[in-house]
Amino acid sequence: MPTRSDTPSDPRPGLAVRPGISSATAGQDQSYSTASVPARPAPKWNRARGLPAGRGATVTRLNHAIRLAKLTAPLHPILVHFTIALTVTSFAFDLLELLFGFNTLLAVGWWTLTAAVLVTMGTIATGVKSRLRLPIEEGEARSFLRVHMALGPSFFGLLVALGIWRGELWQAGATVTWWYVAAMIGVMVVTAVQGYLGGELVYRYGAEVKFRYRELPGRRQRFPRHLDVSEAESRRPDDEAPTQRA
Amino acid sequence: MPDARFVGLNAFQWIAMLAALLTLLLLVDAWAGHYRRGFIHRVQYAPFLSGGLLAIFAIAAVVAPRTGWIESALRVAGWLAVAVGLAGFCLHHYYGIIRKPGGYKLLLNYLMYGAPPLAPLALSAMGVFALIAAKGLAGGVDIAGLPIRTVLLALIVVCMFGAILQAGLLHFRGAFNNPLMYAPLTTPVLTALAGIWTMASPCSAAAIALCALLWLTLLTGFVGIGMHLRGFDRQMAGLYVSLFNWLQGPPAAAPAVFSGLAAIGLVTMRLL
Repeated sequence: MPTRSDTPSDPRPGLAVRPGISSATAGQDQSYSTASVPARPAPKWNRARGLPAGRGATVTRLNHAIRLAKLTAPLHPILVHFTIALTVTSFAFDLLELLFGFNTLLAVGWWTLTAAVLVTMGTIATGVKSRLRLPIEEGEARSFLRVHMALGPSFFGLLVALGIWRGELWQAGATVTWWYVAAMIGVMVVTAVQGYLGGELVYRYGAEVKFRYRELPGRRQRFPRHLDVSEAESRRPDDEAPTQRA
Repeated sequence: MPDARFVGLNAFQWIAMLAALLTLLLLVDAWAGHYRRGFIHRVQYAPFLSGGLLAIFAIAAVVAPRTGWIESALRVAGWLAVAVGLAGFCLHHYYGIIRKPGGYKLLLNYLMYGAPPLAPLALSAMGVFALIAAKGLAGGVDIAGLPIRTVLLALIVVCMFGAILQAGLLHFRGAFNNPLMYAPLTTPVLTALAGIWTMASPCSAAAIALCALLWLTLLTGFVGIGMHLRGFDRQMAGLYVSLFNWLQGPPAAAPAVFSGLAAIGLVTMRLL
């Protein structure tokens, strides 16, 4: 049975929306009848204040804000964008320098690549951390994941090698060569493949996404959030059994 | 002390840093192996003590070179690591082969499934690298009459052959189930041979070949880390049951030894 704290508030005054039902069908669904939920008068000026902090209430106090401050998102998808962006930026600046002779971009290419190497260490570590908490069964998605995992350190090795090469050029005050640019293009290809695999894992197979996204305020839930599907299925009311739905 | 520097650090600072990094990676695998055996002997904690000291003082030598007490401490930590590594080699041999039922009659079995016979020597090698770094940071230019560059190259060749033997043994146990498992038996072997060539008859061709092969070996190590990660994930439940598969799967950081040795080789070739 959904509790009061799991119930999203409806912005319209006077309407209480409960999980799995709309206001139009509320009367037909006995399991979610309004009689089963104790009525609670909501404050006129802020309905959400009736909810406990962290469960949808409007944050009005500093201590509530501090209690809510936590990083729930996985770090790997955050850091990976820095790796990609810094590597591509370094390549772009080096190419501009080579093509148009902008000597001021020499240092930028080196430092952005250095930052990419440093960030990628964190990216790999958080990637392993993400994998540790990902229950993924054998199948297509896990095949994507295996290649993604094997390619990650290889990409890092290439980045380190290029970093050393770029460091020697920077130290000598020399411009990048076409050989370097060609090697960098190879690394870009590996980056693209690795990014594709990671993107598919998230957006096609929902790795670290399912039931973890922040729901929109008006979303009407079929079951309390943070529940597993099987658990939610077992809580399904009788009138919504699969045979009857079919 | 050599004048050549890379990103502000001289050759011996780089060698000290790489020795510290490699020591920490070795300790990761040592922890997995000793934890799997339940630390049944107290002496199994020894590599963490000596390796930890080595890593700390090697990093200190990078941060504050030419500091007398740090160089002395690094030398002590280096000798301690050499001693602990040699003792570990003997203990692995005794408890891993001799004390096992059948002993030498089942040598191949115990070499593959017992305590890794050559693994402790990696700690000794890191100790020797630390000693060379300490000597170089103190201004030394030769060791027992040989130039430091030659000594480093010889040590890299010896370590490379040791790592190849250990990897070959364990990959043989894994039945070379992936073609990439042959990688440690290709590029690093050529690198070691090129190292011998460079020491025997130094010329530009040998130096170029050695540098190219060192780069390839560096990359081989990183590919190996990725493949070992994939190796964990191939096992039932993959990294979701991480502790079990970490203990039973391929050694996580072992391929990094190839990268580390290649990096030390590149430092030797470029900065010394």
